[in-house]
Amino acid sequence: MFRKIFLPCAAGLFAVLGASAANAEDGGLNDMQIAHIAYVAGQIDIQYAEIAMKRSHNADVRAFAETMLRDHKSVNDAALALLEKLGATPEDNPTSKSLLASAAAKRAELKALKGAAFDRAYAANELSYHQFVNKTVEGTFIPAAQNAEFKDLLGVALATFKVHESHAEKLVKKLGK
Amino acid sequence: MVAATSQRANVMRSALWAGLIALIAGGVLSLATSASAETHVVEMRGFEFFPAEVNAAIGDTIVWINKDVVPHTATAADGAWDSGLMETDDEFSLTIEADTSTGDYVCTFHPNMVGVISLD
Ligand SMILES: [Cu+2]
Repeated sequence: MFRKIFLPCAAGLFAVLGASAANAEDGGLNDMQIAHIAYVAGQIDIQYAEIAMKRSHNADVRAFAETMLRDHKSVNDAALALLEKLGATPEDNPTSKSLLASAAAKRAELKALKGAAFDRAYAANELSYHQFVNKTVEGTFIPAAQNAEFKDLLGVALATFKVHESHAEKLVKKLGK
Repeated sequence: MVAATSQRANVMRSALWAGLIALIAGGVLSLATSASAETHVVEMRGFEFFPAEVNAAIGDTIVWINKDVVPHTATAADGAWDSGLMETDDEFSLTIEADTSTGDYVCTFHPNMVGVISLD
């Protein structure tokens, strides 16, 4: 019922809260949980890029990592600005927690490598990570999102991450096996 | 008295007309000069340059505007000119001179973003 109610942005928070009540019943994610996961996903890629900036001497890898730092920060800043406008707070959840746990393991793995082996592992992880995130954003988050502005922002994020995915694909090819 | 007044009014009216004609002529002249030096706007939107190709003549100006959430650049493929980092809503303009490097240009942050300046 709540999901059918369309409200302009001043009442956006109530739309979000209403949706969250409706979704909690059927076990789906609400907007504030999705926002939390999407934000965490961006932070994780920023952390991978920070490792690359410390460890890689390859110009292509460093340029890619700098773009990840710049773009994920911009998208996350846009998300924070929207949440502030809606007066909403992202909600921690098990998906965010498990994403963070597997990212910590991946960071430890990357930090054990150096030189060309690091570059290849970083690029391969960027490709698979963006593929996974894009599948989730496109297949789950965007269809589930209730607030129209939030849904639009997820679309912008998806467009950005798809560009990153194809950039990562080229990087993987260039670095070779 | 009445005749004299209307005479003065006529003089004033013709002075006004002369002024108006001068204004219009000036306007037409400046339109003529600005028509020969065009401004082309290219938006950076959805990780593409819109339009991707600009046909410009020497003296024209190209203005790039970033409409995306993330930063972009407009950079000559040969590096001859470079907007540097453009945040959302930042603008960069380039006036085409005889020795300006035209042809392909890119966003250095997103190698898939490619545009072309072709000379008229
Ligand atoms: Cu770009």
